[in-house]
Amino acid sequence: MIRRSFLGAVRLGQHRVLPGIPQVLPRLSPTSAFGSSTDSLVSRFCPEKTDLKDYALPNASWCPDMLNLYQEFLEKTKTDGWVKLPSFKSNRDHIQGLKLPFGLAVASDKSDWRIFTRCIQEEGQGYEYVIFFHPSKKKSICLFQPGPYLEGPPGFAHGGSLAALMDETFSKTAYLAGEGLFTVSLNIRFKNLIPVGSVAVLNIDVEKIEDQKLYMSCIAQSRDQQTVYAKSSGVFLQLQLEEESSQ
Amino acid sequence: MLRSCVYRLWTPGVLCGPLGGASPPARNSWPLPRSYSSEVAHVDHSLPNPSWSKDMRLIFDQFMKKSEDRSWKRLPSYKFTSSKRLEEAEFRKGETTFYLPFLSGHYRWRSGRAEFDAKPVKEEPLSQARLFPRSLEEGLGFEYAMFHNLVENRTVCILQGGPYLQGIPGFLHGGAIATMIDSTVGMCAFITGGAVMTANLNISFRRPIPLCSVVVINSQLDKIEGRKLFVSCNVQSVDEKTLYSEATSLFVKLDPKKSSP
Repeated sequence: MIRRSFLGAVRLGQHRVLPGIPQVLPRLSPTSAFGSSTDSLVSRFCPEKTDLKDYALPNASWCPDMLNLYQEFLEKTKTDGWVKLPSFKSNRDHIQGLKLPFGLAVASDKSDWRIFTRCIQEEGQGYEYVIFFHPSKKKSICLFQPGPYLEGPPGFAHGGSLAALMDETFSKTAYLAGEGLFTVSLNIRFKNLIPVGSVAVLNIDVEKIEDQKLYMSCIAQSRDQQTVYAKSSGVFLQLQLEEESSQ
Repeated sequence: MLRSCVYRLWTPGVLCGPLGGASPPARNSWPLPRSYSSEVAHVDHSLPNPSWSKDMRLIFDQFMKKSEDRSWKRLPSYKFTSSKRLEEAEFRKGETTFYLPFLSGHYRWRSGRAEFDAKPVKEEPLSQARLFPRSLEEGLGFEYAMFHNLVENRTVCILQGGPYLQGIPGFLHGGAIATMIDSTVGMCAFITGGAVMTANLNISFRRPIPLCSVVVINSQLDKIEGRKLFVSCNVQSVDEKTLYSEATSLFVKLDPKKSSP
């Protein structure tokens, strides 16, 4: 019901009242449950050559724990099938050549729009993070080092900053695992605060894909797994992007 | 306790910001209250600035009008957190004082009453730290103002999400909404319960919010069970015709005897 009424609202535009009659879904791919396979999504998402700046790379602000974990996972990209995801300034850069379905696409996207988790570009001040994805296991690992501009309680990261990064990691995982696009729900149980400048490791699993929704769970812990920072679950709605029509 | 809360909040001189129905002047021309030290100018960001859209100013004015009869109060909001103040906080006998600059202002919770601190107390941004929702420059991130109704235990936040809060191209990032929901319900819990921490946050997203539009986050305290505070909220368009999200949350009162949360 949520899906139908959501898409119904989408067809009419953002500010109109919900219609009483459920709307027809956008066209589905006839071959599989949903469009592209994970492998093709991953290869499109991770271009071999690009001029775009990748923010998910080590810099001088990364603490030793962050660097060590990064190296560990970089090794796994060679041997265990993990993929390091690039992180560009805007989601639009991630979906080049694709666009949102009719009714959702925004006509003009100003060049200075930025994805929230890359809003603070000074090294080390805001979000320092990198996501590794495993296509066949449908798992993600996110290494997160919060900077001083993400403070909530003095010396600790704002709860909202962790919530946002969980949503972002869910979002990338959902997209690559099954073309998940929009957050339907987010449920977070906070246990402990993350000290600014330390590393939190987020483990995400796709639990199931059902009824055009992806269900995922996440646990955020310290590197040694002795401290659990938060546990969460997220549900994303599948929506197929369209090829930008050639003009 | 409620009555004494109201008394403390409305006592002249304790207030930190302008009240009244007239549209307030732009932030940079607002005269600083006398109680502020001339060394450090602490800018209250919950006031209109040039990046605010017409819709944002309209809804702000509506709430300022509501504040005239004192049922509503605009809550001031500052950029810098200050670790030093928390270290200086003392737990005095018979009185518990928490300095909680992170909750969008310099508020003190003393002996069961919330006071809005008019004195900056040798304020300087000693660390580089910034309160997360105030960490971006004007107009780029979160432009917001919060209002509280003591009688009904409701906190309302008017929010204009800027271009650096993008998720899906053209729309506000789910995490950005989560951050503001957390801040709003957190403020509601704090005003009633004192020093609190988010334990659970449960958000249902109904529709994506277009970037640079104005939304209203309405939160209210549902119930208190011992140290637990249950707060719920919804996120709507200004005309209340579009429901964007709904959320429920659980906050837990911090134990003053423990040295860290």
